[in-house]
Amino acid sequence: MAAGVRPAPGDTPRSEAGDRWQRALDAPRDVWAVFLQARRRDPHIYVGDVHAPDAEMALVLAKEGYTRRDPCVNLWVVRADQIHATTAGAEEMFEPATDKSYRFGGSYRQQQKVYRSAWRLSHREEDQ
Amino acid sequence: MAGALAAIADPAVRGAFREWLLRTADDELVIGHRHSEWTGFGPDIESDVAMSSIAQEEIGHARVFYEQIGPDDGSTPDQLAFGRSPREYRHAALLEHENGGWEFSIVRLALYEPFEAGRLRLLGASGHEPVAGLARTLAREERYHGLFAETWLARLTKAAVEDRGRVQRALDEAWPDALGLLETTPADDLLRAAGVLGETPAAARAAWEDAVRPILTGCGLAIPRAAAREGGRRGAHGPEFEQMLMQMTEVRRSDPEAQW
Repeated sequence: MAAGVRPAPGDTPRSEAGDRWQRALDAPRDVWAVFLQARRRDPHIYVGDVHAPDAEMALVLAKEGYTRRDPCVNLWVVRADQIHATTAGAEEMFEPATDKSYRFGGSYRQQQKVYRSAWRLSHREEDQ
Repeated sequence: MAGALAAIADPAVRGAFREWLLRTADDELVIGHRHSEWTGFGPDIESDVAMSSIAQEEIGHARVFYEQIGPDDGSTPDQLAFGRSPREYRHAALLEHENGGWEFSIVRLALYEPFEAGRLRLLGASGHEPVAGLARTLAREERYHGLFAETWLARLTKAAVEDRGRVQRALDEAWPDALGLLETTPADDLLRAAGVLGETPAAARAAWEDAVRPILTGCGLAIPRAAAREGGRRGAHGPEFEQMLMQMTEVRRSDPEAQW
């Protein structure tokens, strides 16, 4: 189920894409991205997609598809084609040119908590 | 565990409550089995998964009630679920019918869930623990089952005129048996007189219709006028159920004493 959304042809040849650094996901109209909140005050994490004609049906289907095996207190669904993403060509924008490790948030306790809950969902055992 | 029945001193009331709980469990087992037949055949993968999950939950609910009944005569849940003759089952005929199309299964679920919600409310208020507490807990899952049915029903009837015609035909077909959900036997009178269940059959019917009517009319469906078809609560079942039971118990019958 989690196969529908892919960053759109970020793989478009640079010459064609030009300087394009962001674009909407190239997803069919009936694909909805599902975000799951495992516990109150956790962030909503992207867990996969469902096919549905509208938001209500997407939530109904996401409930069974994504909350049977994992704890959940809240679900979001978003039309996948409404999600804008940076392109592959823009990846280097995230790479620091000089050593900026002093800015990383890893040593802050709250930041660690956020990272951990995201990590927990994106590294579920079944995915290993 | 002693089960829910041990605390009832009057044997007549105990027998009536047993019958009532058996109905509840059998309804859930039979519709659960029918829903499980959609596994691999749903209209899309997501609804296939959802319906299969609903089926699991329904059979799980059946088990919960069989566990409450069993200790009364030393039966295990498996013996109650699989070890009886067709006439000993107390489910309503609506639930045993073959699925036919997806629209029939959705219509059936949409008609059944408001009934089940009402029954669990009644049981939750019965004052008989642990069944009352269990009923309140199970109602949480039933809420989603109803939501699934209503959401699908609305989509099926919105799609196109001929689709709504199919749904209407499924509704017309299901209606007399849906009224059969509310069939009563002397057990109901006894339980009401004993103060276990506090609702008259007329009130139960009115509550069910009040819940069902807006769902159906909201989808542009006409409420059928046909009268109730009863008998399930007294053990009268059709050939569809016998076939279903044979299939459902096929593995168990090969070795009833096997430990799984």
